[in-house]
Amino acid sequence: MADFSWDVRSPLDRALVVGPYGAQGDAGLALTEIRDFDLVQVMARRGKAGAMTKATKAHFGVAAPETPKAVAAADATLIWSGPDQFLVLSKGGRHALEMLAPVFAGSASLSDQSHARALISVSGDKARATLAKLSSIDLHPGVFGVGAAAATSMDHTSVTLWRGRDRSGLAVFNLLVFATFAESLWHTILDSAAEYGVTISHSEEFA
Amino acid sequence: MRIVCPFCGERELGEFTYLGDAKPQRPAAGADAVYDYVYLRDNVAGVMSEHWYHGGGCRAWLKVTRNTLTHEISAVEPAAGAGAAKVGA
Ligand SMILES: [Zn+2]
Repeated sequence: MADFSWDVRSPLDRALVVGPYGAQGDAGLALTEIRDFDLVQVMARRGKAGAMTKATKAHFGVAAPETPKAVAAADATLIWSGPDQFLVLSKGGRHALEMLAPVFAGSASLSDQSHARALISVSGDKARATLAKLSSIDLHPGVFGVGAAAATSMDHTSVTLWRGRDRSGLAVFNLLVFATFAESLWHTILDSAAEYGVTISHSEEFA
Repeated sequence: MRIVCPFCGERELGEFTYLGDAKPQRPAAGADAVYDYVYLRDNVAGVMSEHWYHGGGCRAWLKVTRNTLTHEISAVEPAAGAGAAKVGA
């Protein structure tokens, strides 16, 4: 049998160039790719939504999101992705697929999405102005507060969008996008934000 | 046109895909009944019940009551089977 050598790398490996982009001066946008995360899709089996909810509470200590929002547990974030389903985002393997499988045995179907999505964090003065060019979701703080989430589309691409904790008094928006669409969306975000100036980076830490 | 998804809220048309008439029910048997079910549709001018798919959002199927003359939408509800909680035990 042939030996395969898998080279794990980000879907944005080629597109992401660390440093300043676009207009010079104080950057209006910080664009950061978050790498090396665990992501598991949890979907209730038919008629088992109640059992899934109980299992979630027992394991994470918080209620599963039943409306579009992102719920912070001690060491994971549960993000609503549709009726009776959510994503578990974490680091370090503590809530990886094999750890969650016994938790949701019989109540939910799990699917490992860790390497199937790219995670992009958008923050800074012009974060909302940039995303407003790509999204029809109302991101005004009065409507889309910390913890708000949406399963939506940007530039004809399905994304999971949620607002994380503020950083330096500014809103932080997180985007999960299918790996094969990540480069396209990345370029679209850069085009939209070029007029504000962008600081591009990647990180192993959640925003 | 916008559709108020019962799961996501109000969204633009571009996030949805149209399937068609939500009225026809799959017949148990009978060649004529199956022919009607597969091929024949009423061309409704007025209020009709339609299936829409929120593929650009929560990926749920919806049943939308829409006036084909005015595009006015009077009701949106989950289609049968959308969301595991709604079905059986
Ligand atoms: Zn929806």
